[in-house]
Amino acid sequence: MNTIEVNNISKTFGSQKALDEVSFEVKPGEIFGLLGPNGAGKTTCIRIVLDIFKPDSGSVKLFGNGMSEEKKDQIGYLPEERGLYQDINLEECLNYLASLKGLSSSESHKRINEYLIRFNLDEHKKKKVKELSKGMQQKAQLITTLVHDPKLIIIDEPFSALDPLNTQMVKDILREQRDLGKTIVMCTHQMHQVEELCDRLVLINQGKSVLYGALSEVQKNYAGHAIHVRTEDQIPASLPGMNKFKRLENHHHYQIDLDSQVSPQDFLKTLVAANIKINQFEIAMPTLDEIFIQVVTESGMKYE
Amino acid sequence: MNKTWLVIKHEYWKQVKKKRFILAILSLPFFILLMVAIGFLSVIFQYNDSPVGYIDRSSLLDNPIEYKAEAPIGLMKPIEFIRYTDESEAESALQNNIIQALYVIDKNFIETSEIKVIANKAPDSSVNGEFYTFLKLNVLKDLPEEISSRLMEGASFEVKSTGEQTSANEDNVLVFILPFLVGFLFIMAVNFSGGYLLQSVVEEKENRTMEIMVTSISPTQLMTAKVIGNLSVGLTQLVVWILFGIIGIFSLFRIFPDLQSTKIDFSFLLLTIMVFIPAFVMIAAMMAALGATTTETKEAQQIAGIFTIPMVLPYWFMQVLIEKPNSPLSLFFSLFPFTAPVSLPMRAAFSTIPAWQIIITIALLIIFAIAALWFAGRAFRLGMLRYGKKLSLIEIFTQRP
Repeated sequence: MNTIEVNNISKTFGSQKALDEVSFEVKPGEIFGLLGPNGAGKTTCIRIVLDIFKPDSGSVKLFGNGMSEEKKDQIGYLPEERGLYQDINLEECLNYLASLKGLSSSESHKRINEYLIRFNLDEHKKKKVKELSKGMQQKAQLITTLVHDPKLIIIDEPFSALDPLNTQMVKDILREQRDLGKTIVMCTHQMHQVEELCDRLVLINQGKSVLYGALSEVQKNYAGHAIHVRTEDQIPASLPGMNKFKRLENHHHYQIDLDSQVSPQDFLKTLVAANIKINQFEIAMPTLDEIFIQVVTESGMKYE
Repeated sequence: MNKTWLVIKHEYWKQVKKKRFILAILSLPFFILLMVAIGFLSVIFQYNDSPVGYIDRSSLLDNPIEYKAEAPIGLMKPIEFIRYTDESEAESALQNNIIQALYVIDKNFIETSEIKVIANKAPDSSVNGEFYTFLKLNVLKDLPEEISSRLMEGASFEVKSTGEQTSANEDNVLVFILPFLVGFLFIMAVNFSGGYLLQSVVEEKENRTMEIMVTSISPTQLMTAKVIGNLSVGLTQLVVWILFGIIGIFSLFRIFPDLQSTKIDFSFLLLTIMVFIPAFVMIAAMMAALGATTTETKEAQQIAGIFTIPMVLPYWFMQVLIEKPNSPLSLFFSLFPFTAPVSLPMRAAFSTIPAWQIIITIALLIIFAIAALWFAGRAFRLGMLRYGKKLSLIEIFTQRP
């Protein structure tokens, strides 16, 4: 049973089509990336999955069927529009929100205290939420997402407003949650984060799903016939099987495009035969950023 | 624990614990107390309870019946009337402040109606009144007892509208005051509760907590809990004030024992409650809808004022409602859901309202209340995640949430 099944959902706001026939599945225990540029429809999609909006057409299944009030306790949601009650103190705010996820008062106090210590928020727990910094509020929000130990975690732009240290902490937490068997949907436009964490992904642009599948598959599909080589020697102007080459940021780092019939293996032999000392040799995988830009702009050709 | 209950509790305590609420709840009784205290003090300082002297040249007060003037406040001693025959003796008593004033009744008082008052400082008009009562009592003393006492007490006027059964006795002050009072309390309660509710819904938007909330509980639960929680806050405020009011009334009873004869009609109270409950829900739902469609507290509060105007409208037409309780305008006011809460009790106090009218009024209010709740629910679902842009009326009716 898939954790989430989205079937051909469409949603229009006024004259603007926010989502157009989007489908994807999220499997249990994976980190799934819901990607797209700003305004692509990611948040609308999440809101439909969570039954905040109703789709104009199409359907959503959560844990096998429709949304219900009981299922809300199984879901941890970190919305893009971060929000906590500003006028009450942090501890009170977190406990209230945890109680609404079905935690008993004693249980929520215990768990919240653990999280507050872990997130270095313990000394601020008596402060009003509005007195906390943006980063602290972000961490507090993450506590409300995780405190009830949900089976499904949906996080929208989890790294915004976090410094590198906290970003790393959040990543560690996400991995830890995955290792605990949780399903995680991560909604973001920060592609390098997805590359590190996600198993599978869907890319949405202008309301349409443009790319969908396992990260490795997607990268392989977009990988061209190119290799990266690091060497202190000069690459000769022409070599058998070499189409063209260019220097990358570092002078000893080259990207070499191969003729379509030549395999990287063959070319490695050619390099060795040419007596070039190789420090590093790898098949050039496109970064998600590159794939993203390529797909979204639809101007570039396949990565070569 | 039930989540609706959790939200009710949170909403309730959030408001009640605020300093602002405690100040608001105490300020009105404090203000009233202050006004009453100032009133009492001014009476005490103005009222002179030293005796009054009189010289009777008309012989009307020979062998007078004893009369003790009533003091305006029970705690003070009544004015005594001292008879003088010698004018110079009386004047020296006045000089020595033994008496506060000297009344000299003219020889031909019956013809001239002249009473000369000699005093260092003009006595209070109530002292003149008391002296006149004393005089009247003695002039009438030769008439049969029941005639003289009837003349002394005056007539009791009963207002009766033609063809109606209910009548208002002018002596029963509460009959007049009650409809105004309950109407006033209703408007206060609605304004407070509505204000709290409005604030609470808008705050949810301002704090961006709406998404967290609706992924924890259903929008209907959230709305219901907010309505109940904030209405309870308004009611708490009202109950505290009513308690202060009851304490006030009991202390008034002690000071003015005459008021004790007044009584409250319970069918009237029942009618009032039946009208107030749906009206309360209707207005609360509308406030909630307003909160969901606007984006800022300030803006919402300005629009909220619109609801108050039709509610207080009947007060401007009070004259018509009292004098012609069955005129078309009175009928319209008591049927129209926004003016009904104030108008119907007012009409009911001065005439008997046909049962069908009461039924229609309450039915209309219930229908309006349900419609308002439906409307609020839609506005809430559509408007809850809008931040910059206001929700238009057309969108609420046409758009799919």
